[in-house]
Amino acid sequence: MADHGILSSLLTTFQPINFFSCFIGAVVGTLVGVLPGLGPAAAMALVIPLTLKLGPTAGLIMLAGIYYGSMYGGSTTSILVNVPGEPASVVTTLDGYAMARKGRAGAALAVAAIGSFVAGTFSVIALQFFAPLLARSALAFGPAEYFTLTVLGVILLSNLTGKSRARSLIMIMVGLLLSTVGTDPVGGMERFSFGLESAQGGISFIALTTGLFGVAEVFAVMAEGEEQIKLLPVRFRELYPNREEIKRSAAPMARGSVLGFLIGLLPGPAATMASFASYGLERRISKHREEFGKGAIEGVAGPESANNAAAGGAMIPLLSLGLPFTPATAVLLGGMLLHGITPGPFLLRDRPDVFWGVIGSFYLGNMMLLILNLPLVGIFAKIVRVAPKYLMPTVLVLCVIGAYGDNSSLFDVWVMLGAGVIGYVMRKYDYEPAPLIVGLVLGPVMERSLRQALIISKGSLSGLWESPLCIAMWIVILLAAVLPFAMQVVRKSTGTRRNA
Amino acid sequence: MAIRKERLSGLVVMLFGAGLLLYNLKYPLDTWGNPGPGVFPLMAGTVLVVLAAWVLGRDLLKPASKEGRESNAQCAPLRKTFRITQGERNILLMIAVFVLYILMIKWIGFFVSNFFFVIVASRLIGARTWAAPVALSAGINLFCYALFDLWLKLSFPRGVLF
Repeated sequence: MADHGILSSLLTTFQPINFFSCFIGAVVGTLVGVLPGLGPAAAMALVIPLTLKLGPTAGLIMLAGIYYGSMYGGSTTSILVNVPGEPASVVTTLDGYAMARKGRAGAALAVAAIGSFVAGTFSVIALQFFAPLLARSALAFGPAEYFTLTVLGVILLSNLTGKSRARSLIMIMVGLLLSTVGTDPVGGMERFSFGLESAQGGISFIALTTGLFGVAEVFAVMAEGEEQIKLLPVRFRELYPNREEIKRSAAPMARGSVLGFLIGLLPGPAATMASFASYGLERRISKHREEFGKGAIEGVAGPESANNAAAGGAMIPLLSLGLPFTPATAVLLGGMLLHGITPGPFLLRDRPDVFWGVIGSFYLGNMMLLILNLPLVGIFAKIVRVAPKYLMPTVLVLCVIGAYGDNSSLFDVWVMLGAGVIGYVMRKYDYEPAPLIVGLVLGPVMERSLRQALIISKGSLSGLWESPLCIAMWIVILLAAVLPFAMQVVRKSTGTRRNA
Repeated sequence: MAIRKERLSGLVVMLFGAGLLLYNLKYPLDTWGNPGPGVFPLMAGTVLVVLAAWVLGRDLLKPASKEGRESNAQCAPLRKTFRITQGERNILLMIAVFVLYILMIKWIGFFVSNFFFVIVASRLIGARTWAAPVALSAGINLFCYALFDLWLKLSFPRGVLF
């Protein structure tokens, strides 16, 4: 590995053609992330024919550039207009948009860019040292472990927003139920589609998120009235994070990088889960807990680092085992196969130029994204200063295009409108939409793994907690479920004694 | 948060969950060794109903506040919840316009209906004149046409006009 370590990988990436491909990929990826209509997987699929002319290394570097560029770009619209460009940026809306409304959009965008760079760099270094070792550990996960992991995710993320845990769990359950709409992942039976052909493929994630966040936000702005949302004038130097904000972001970036990288190794929607998990962690341990949801910089720094690190981590199962766990990495795998490259344990031995070239491009790409995006922060931040009467119709049109463009279906636009109305009503009744997204994302993995685990164990429930890994996770689940209540009881009894 | 509002939301979620569980009866559960398509929705739906019942029950058992004991004051939060402000009237109008817009997309095409939609939406959100919304709409449509239709090749409904 030493022969093809950090230095040689960077040298491969710095060849002019690879450098250029990386740049184009990062720019296209950022655009894809910003525009809600086109996800990274679709954009990568569109670009694959072009990459065939570039050769395997440069072609794959371009595809990888789109992948991680979209991770960064997705946060821009989350922060500016409360519309997540892609699923991993949903959680950034919670504090990023709140910061924008307080005139700190520039700081939030800059921290997101720096966090993405730090996490990207960390994941590259970790990939170089631990790739083969970590690749094998991903194989320890069978259906029972995946199911337990998703249950752990539900329990840990049920306190995501710090409001009522019961309400968050309700929203997660609604998300899990919505994920069952469409064709059953195991038997192929159609469920909850009510005879609608367009619903057979399930509920479009983009339609739901643009509705719950974007359209609902427009309604909320309309309800508030224009005069209440005028922003304070912001001076140039205030566009960037101040010393205090940088200081507060440093530790969340570091934690987000490690957490995101580890979650990236796991199958499933790694980047999304990593960003949610990081937000939950930061909210739990922050000294400024009361600021979460109202514009805490940690709520941007942690998740934005985590989703980028997860994008890096997800490369390990892809490159070392040939296992894609996200739609975007599946397209990347398709691109590799079209270039005549078979990912797997022998890729590192047979094509080190490709392996380390792609990995090295992560580092270069993140640096490019930082250089490209930091000067643009001021321009982006000005978007929030556009009067709502002009900005909001633009947001609505982008939401419609996003929802429609996902499957070229007007049904999805109806779903988006319905989600917008429900999202607005939910806000009025203090129900947060973010946990619903957790349920929607975890639902398919949870159902498939539960049913597979039961089939493997021939119906024995004990199959769900037989392996040491499962036992360890169930213990954490029990502790996470019981501890908050126990703490509450202890706090109450201490308070009663003090009052007495 | 007003107690009445909490009760109402708990009740609505519970009814939603119960309705879903009833509908789920049409899907087979099969056996534990080979769980059918109805199993997972049944589990998630049951947890949803239990949680909603918990929220509702917790609220019903909550001791009434001093003000809450007076019947008039007790009804106030619910009344306040359903009171429609001018902004919300505009939201209802916007929803109606949105519905019309989606229906028109198939008939007169995406870009034409989009043109009218942006103008009306801009007016509903607060534009006082016609010129600026018309210019905005023309700009957005040109941009979207160039980016999504010409460049990214997303196919939008053309309608009868094109």
